[in-house]
Amino acid sequence: MLEQVYNSLQFIKPELILVGTLLVSIIVDLIFKNKKVVVAFVILGLVLSFYYLTFLNSINQLIFFNMYAIDPFAYFFKIFLLVATIGIVLFSVLSKEISDLKSREGEFYYFLVALTIGMFLMTSSTNLIMMYLAIELTSLTSYMLAGFMKEEKSSSEASLKYVLYGAFSSGMMLYGISIIYGLTGSFDLLAINMAIADGVSSLALLISTVLMFVGFGYKISAVPFHFWTPDVYEGSPISVTTILSVASKAAGFSMLMRTAKIMFIDPYAAPTVNDWQIIDSVPIVEILTILSVLTMTLGNLVAIWQSNLKRLLAYSSIAHAGYLLLGVLTMNNEGYSATLIYFVTYLFMNVGAFLIVMLVSNKLNSSDIDSYKGLGMKSPFIGVMFALFLISLTGLPPTAGFVGKLYIFAALVNKKLILLAVIGVLNSVVSLYYYVRIFRNMFLRESDIETPEIKLSLAEKLLILVFAIPTIGLGLYFAPLVEFAHASVEIFSGN
Amino acid sequence: MIPLNYYLLFAAFLFSVGVVGVLIRRNAIIVFMCIELMLNSVNLTFIAFSAFMGNAIGQMFVFFVMTVAAAEAAVGLAIIIALFRNKKTINIDQINLLKW
Amino acid sequence: MLNLYDYIFYFFAIVILGSSFVVVFSRNIVHSAFALLFTFFGVAGFYVLLSADFLAITQLLVYVGGILVLLLFGVMLTNNIVNVEIKSGTMQTLPASLIAALIAGLLCGIFYVSNWYLVPTTPELLNNTTAVAIGYAFITTWILPFEVASVVLLVAMIGAVIIARREKAPEVE
Repeated sequence: MLEQVYNSLQFIKPELILVGTLLVSIIVDLIFKNKKVVVAFVILGLVLSFYYLTFLNSINQLIFFNMYAIDPFAYFFKIFLLVATIGIVLFSVLSKEISDLKSREGEFYYFLVALTIGMFLMTSSTNLIMMYLAIELTSLTSYMLAGFMKEEKSSSEASLKYVLYGAFSSGMMLYGISIIYGLTGSFDLLAINMAIADGVSSLALLISTVLMFVGFGYKISAVPFHFWTPDVYEGSPISVTTILSVASKAAGFSMLMRTAKIMFIDPYAAPTVNDWQIIDSVPIVEILTILSVLTMTLGNLVAIWQSNLKRLLAYSSIAHAGYLLLGVLTMNNEGYSATLIYFVTYLFMNVGAFLIVMLVSNKLNSSDIDSYKGLGMKSPFIGVMFALFLISLTGLPPTAGFVGKLYIFAALVNKKLILLAVIGVLNSVVSLYYYVRIFRNMFLRESDIETPEIKLSLAEKLLILVFAIPTIGLGLYFAPLVEFAHASVEIFSGN
Repeated sequence: MIPLNYYLLFAAFLFSVGVVGVLIRRNAIIVFMCIELMLNSVNLTFIAFSAFMGNAIGQMFVFFVMTVAAAEAAVGLAIIIALFRNKKTINIDQINLLKW
Repeated sequence: MLNLYDYIFYFFAIVILGSSFVVVFSRNIVHSAFALLFTFFGVAGFYVLLSADFLAITQLLVYVGGILVLLLFGVMLTNNIVNVEIKSGTMQTLPASLIAALIAGLLCGIFYVSNWYLVPTTPELLNNTTAVAIGYAFITTWILPFEVASVVLLVAMIGAVIIARREKAPEVE
């Protein structure tokens, strides 16, 4: 028994390093007064974890008694999460909100590490217990990070809404898990798949799947489980908003995709690369379609009349979750790899957009769309960069956003789901309206009050470029990304 | 001998009572208590299945659910206390700075 | 004729249901908190009936001794005790009752028609889930969730302290 535990340890070196970083940072935070030392240790830990992660490139197996999977799919998401987290840590160093925290600043950074641990566990879990624990670790850390600016009323309020909503959703998901346990007698995804394929009561299976999707939907902000998203995104510190909208969403999607692939695909059908045979009694494609259409449409429509940029970007990220779900519901390799490609492009453009909003609100103390009037003329660097990110978010060529949407719509068309592709394109057109409004305010309107020119330090300019260059670069040269995504769709699903 | 269905129906009813509580109560602490009711009903379902299946895994999950419920209660109450210090109220209706 | 086992079941069932109704529908928070205490005791009794003895004691320790005490702290710290009338309004009872009836009906429906993964056994056969067996399982098969649970508790502890503690008053500029 213990042999397996010893053998499994070598594969979770990245997670162990992150836990070690967390513990070391707690102690370092207590010893040193200068909080930048904690930041240095956190970045060191994340980079070290990245280094050890690269050794797991081509491994494809289950460890820890079939509870944890080390496969290319998990590898892709872990790389993604580490890149996102390192980016957010650098982002937070530049943020005035975080440096205003004074005594709590160190704790903020090591909570980001704890959040990363939770997200790592979410991407790799193949057992319902591990999935639940991973979701709860991520959620608990997110509740605390959202409420970090205790002096601001909006932050505490956002945090409270998040807690109540999150606890309720995880309670629902847990009930679904209990019904699945009753039907199949096991928590292991592979064993559940075999039991479902052998035949279980379809009504109970449907209800339990729907309840589990309440939990997943809450994590990815799908409609109708999205009600916490605008309030939490608006009230939290902006680095927390960014990491929630990019990394936490990615971890939630990876769990959803893994569960859908392992649990609902018929193990008795002949394995085909491009068309997975779904078990008959599970209407998973219908559920995902409804979620996707609702999410895209509502996200885009409500974003139209938002005037606070944080809230607007929150609704826009809800809409992007809808596009990502389009890739998932095709249930074949092409659709899944399209979702992965879209995620990478989404990382760069979304973090870039939030970065600009953060830097502007650092100097102008406002996230209102009216305060962006004339910004393009006064601070051209910010104006051009923000325009780039907005064009990418809409999905126009030659930016990365276009590449992501192209692959998603191509996967839909190849699966003969033309109507859904049309709905996706229409939604992109709707999103053009509210992105262009910002663009218009920046370049074509004069501001009412005298706003100063926003001077950026070299570090801030560099960080913006770090996200801007891939946004345009991936739009022009995306072959390596596509290959990486195609290779990463291999989810371990039994021999 | 009480059959399995009695336990399951009872747990389902308790779960529904908890859900009603979460939806209709306005005080944040009472909403928390109702969430604890929901989690207790889930625990009861797990243990009922575990007993009638001869399978001990359900009981192991209940340990973890209890752990997480305790952690969540601690964090949730800390947030409620922080909010109360700011606003002097924990009535959800009056917590409406963030609107539509 | 009902035997003792059935009597105990119905007794605990009435305790749990009654106190859960008080928790949800009472206007007084302190009444709700103490009714929750009885609910937890009743559920612990159910666990014993289902031969999960270790879990019943854990339920009492964790839920009653930990969570309930935390909730009482929360109640006491966030209410004006001078104002005895601790009102908690309820609203929109009709839609909520409809939703609850729908959920209850749906779940009860499942539990009537489904075939569960059952082996023909009775609860008395499950008599080897002693503390030893559970402890052994935690160190071998369930070691990964066990360690993750410890990280969850660590993070929750630190976070709760950070969020809840009183900061020094900010200097007036």
